[in-house]
Amino acid sequence: MRDALFSFFGSGALVAMAAAVVALVASVVFLRTRNFLYDALALASTEAGFVLLAAALAAGVLWSHTAAGVWWAWDTRLTSALVCGLVYAAYLMLRRAIEEPTERATSAAVVSVFAFLDAPLASIAIAWWRAHRTLPPEGGPPPGWGALASGNALAMLVLGAALTVILLRREERRRAQDARRRAALTL
Amino acid sequence: MGYFRQVAVVAFKDLRAELRTKEAINASLAFSIVILLLFSFAFDPSEDTMREISGGLLWIVFAFAGTLTLNRSFARELPNDCLDALIAAPLPASALFLGKCLANYALVLAVELVSLPVFGIFYNVRWARQFPELLLVLLLGTWALTVIGTIFSALTVNIKLREVMLPMLTYPILIPALMSAMQLTTALVGGTAINSDTIDSLKMLIGFDIVFTAVSLALVETVLVG
Amino acid sequence: MSAVAVEGVWKFYGDYPALRDVRLEAAPGSCLALIGRNGAGKTTLLRIVAGFSKAQRGKIKIHGNDPRSTETRRQLGFLGHGIAVYDELSALENLTLYGKLYALADPRKSALEWLERTGLERVRNGLVREFSRGMRQRLAVARAFLHEPSVLLLDEPFTALDDRAIAVLQRLLREALAAGKTIVMSTHQLREALELATHVALISRGQLAFHGQCTPEMAADPGYIYAQYGEV
Repeated sequence: MRDALFSFFGSGALVAMAAAVVALVASVVFLRTRNFLYDALALASTEAGFVLLAAALAAGVLWSHTAAGVWWAWDTRLTSALVCGLVYAAYLMLRRAIEEPTERATSAAVVSVFAFLDAPLASIAIAWWRAHRTLPPEGGPPPGWGALASGNALAMLVLGAALTVILLRREERRRAQDARRRAALTL
Repeated sequence: MGYFRQVAVVAFKDLRAELRTKEAINASLAFSIVILLLFSFAFDPSEDTMREISGGLLWIVFAFAGTLTLNRSFARELPNDCLDALIAAPLPASALFLGKCLANYALVLAVELVSLPVFGIFYNVRWARQFPELLLVLLLGTWALTVIGTIFSALTVNIKLREVMLPMLTYPILIPALMSAMQLTTALVGGTAINSDTIDSLKMLIGFDIVFTAVSLALVETVLVG
Repeated sequence: MSAVAVEGVWKFYGDYPALRDVRLEAAPGSCLALIGRNGAGKTTLLRIVAGFSKAQRGKIKIHGNDPRSTETRRQLGFLGHGIAVYDELSALENLTLYGKLYALADPRKSALEWLERTGLERVRNGLVREFSRGMRQRLAVARAFLHEPSVLLLDEPFTALDDRAIAVLQRLLREALAAGKTIVMSTHQLREALELATHVALISRGQLAFHGQCTPEMAADPGYIYAQYGEV
């Protein structure tokens, strides 16, 4: 059970990382081309990654409880995941705060670059933190983990990709709606 | 050479305007002293407790008080549309950004250097036993705070909720820098010089400063002009 | 070569095109008045010409160069809604600051000269915070002209100006035109604008509805252009 929970957390976090890479690439491509499709892709993959990371953290909390008896033990990997989640939450909040789509997309793309560079630094800083703990399984994976984890990761990846596509379409629809609203407001 | 003169012109402009009104620096200073006072009510400032938490306490105070100054950095350009004139002026956006950074750096550092002795008095701590190394950590940590705060101050300047958005954006991004600065400061205030336990934190702080200064300089034109 | 060339500019807010394929030119020594209703896109266009925001498609050329190049920015003067001077600084400090940013040979001398030309030399050491509205506006004019720009971009320059400031501005603009400089202004005050304008461009819903010389009929009756080329 403990290993299953850990593999759920691990694979969720791994797919969230992949989503962060997609978001970074999409953001940089948006800044170069100003094609809103890439802005929508950056948003959709960040949101999808965020959802998976939240699910992974929930599993991580349960895992922490089975492994150490406390809900939050400041495990290195869990803490890193939480901090990365916070950084991307800031990205999503900034998007909500800006009304004009072009300005929103540009500012968000810049924040996405900062967030992506910050995530590894945060993980390293947390790993170096003297008060950190690493709950079992630490070091190498437990026996039989490989099959479980790769199956989990694959499922998560498919889920994440599907979610990204759905959220991408939603953002495209919203942008079209915004354009119609603006056109209607013009004299 | 012309580049650095332009940086200096912007920095002195900001400092002069700020020192004339003292809006940000007074608020920032008052705020940091109030927080220091409040924390001393929260727990018994015994020597053992202080050894554990001095770094965390100080950097929370610095980060909160610094945000007040950083919030004003680009917001002060808004009232008469001065930001337009600065963007239009023939200096690179990076020079404008560096000038603002340096002004903020001086203001935030000034508040910190006043807060430190106040901290020493309130909590009865001999904080200056490793002063040169503490000063180094202060300089590096404050630069991290300033560079991130200034670029996000530029990014949020046109947002209605910018006073809320700035800390929302900066604090999560600053976690690696603040964590490292806190650990170093705790050790240094406790009288322990930087050793093999804390050298990694110093590297992190330097690395953070380099990475984010470079990215900010590269992206500031995009932030200001789109 | 035209002093200002707008080459097929599109500006989008998301998917909504605020400017559609706008093409304009202004020759050296000409004054182009951008007219149109509120929200038609005049200010958006002027801000793109000034380099404050970017067109998604199309190009702006100022004397053949990109508006964001350092050399071009030295040539551009922008006067917008805000006065773009600092309340906490004195009039002289403000102008000297901009003189330094524009790397003028003697910032203080240029600042003093422009304070005199706008009639502010007596209050040069007063903080702008304490200035009356009219004084602030004249200082804003001095700020825009300080570096002797060859292309002047003015966004609603006559709105909110008092009579004295209008007189100062109109005199300076006439002098600038006579010296072969180029003016592009967006405006509602057709009467004041058409006195100076050599060319007129009407923008309607983000599109160029008319672009041509300012004829005597237009100058005589400001409503003429709207009636002739504008939407009903």
